[in-house]
Amino acid sequence: MNSTDRKILNEIQSDFPITSRPYQDLGRRLNLTEDEVMSAVRRMKEDGIIRRIGGNFHSSRLNFVSTLCAAKVPEEKVDRFVEAVNRHPGVTHNYLRNNPYNIWFTFIAEDMRFIENALKEISEETGIEEILNLPAIKMFKIKVDFEV
Amino acid sequence: MIDQTDKKIISLIQGDLPVHSRPFALLAEKIGITEKTLLERISSLKKQGIIRRFGATLRHQEAGFSANAMIAWRAPDERIDEIGTVFAQFREVTHCYHRAPQKDWPYNLYTMVHGGSREECRRIAERLSRSANIRNYLLLFSEKEFKKTSMAYFSEKHHDEAI
Repeated sequence: MNSTDRKILNEIQSDFPITSRPYQDLGRRLNLTEDEVMSAVRRMKEDGIIRRIGGNFHSSRLNFVSTLCAAKVPEEKVDRFVEAVNRHPGVTHNYLRNNPYNIWFTFIAEDMRFIENALKEISEETGIEEILNLPAIKMFKIKVDFEV
Repeated sequence: MIDQTDKKIISLIQGDLPVHSRPFALLAEKIGITEKTLLERISSLKKQGIIRRFGATLRHQEAGFSANAMIAWRAPDERIDEIGTVFAQFREVTHCYHRAPQKDWPYNLYTMVHGGSREECRRIAERLSRSANIRNYLLLFSEKEFKKTSMAYFSEKHHDEAI
């Protein structure tokens, strides 16, 4: 990444123009041409630095609920458990972490009952019974902008 | 409230915007509305706070943030709001939530931090700990990523992120 790339990245994470010619407008802000911005963005997507460009939503304002779950899964059952969990489109993040509660995933759905039922089914299918469901009581911060 | 057109728009813009000089015109065409209407609707969804952020999502590792840690804190109930507010002010903290403790799991406050290394994440945790005077915490490093995607709201094809 060069300094132009960094300038572009710092600009487009939270302030991508909602305009007819967004790359031209970005170019004006950054003193670059539309083509320069577009080719830098295209290259950073190809290199995997940019995962996607688009909208990120407040799930609660779309009347969806979200939660964080953690499960204690013995090593030999991890693959099967992860497969059962990841099958759900509402599971958006899933990580192995260094704790007896070793599998941590986020789950978004239209209501909590759906999630509770899904967790019950996952338990029945995999034999894993220790699953924590930790819905948020209060959000203090969510910020996914990185200064690069 | 949002209507059917908004739902179609949401299911389009939760994917990946094409790199094109007029990307919104391309999207508008897909759902049979004008570019102008699409731009107005997206701006309105932003203003209503339904769109929390519109822009690029980075792959942290490629962008130089190679370690992330979830820190689970055991905070005294009466201090949760105070501590959560302190933690939220740290630049390195990207998420901070109060969650109810459960069964054998007494932790009630969660922060997500990103750093260049695990060691850096540990140092951030120590700084947080000192700043809020809270000692009881657990660093949970991600050792393997099994899934990382964006939620597909109002979408029939859940698995396809590309527009």
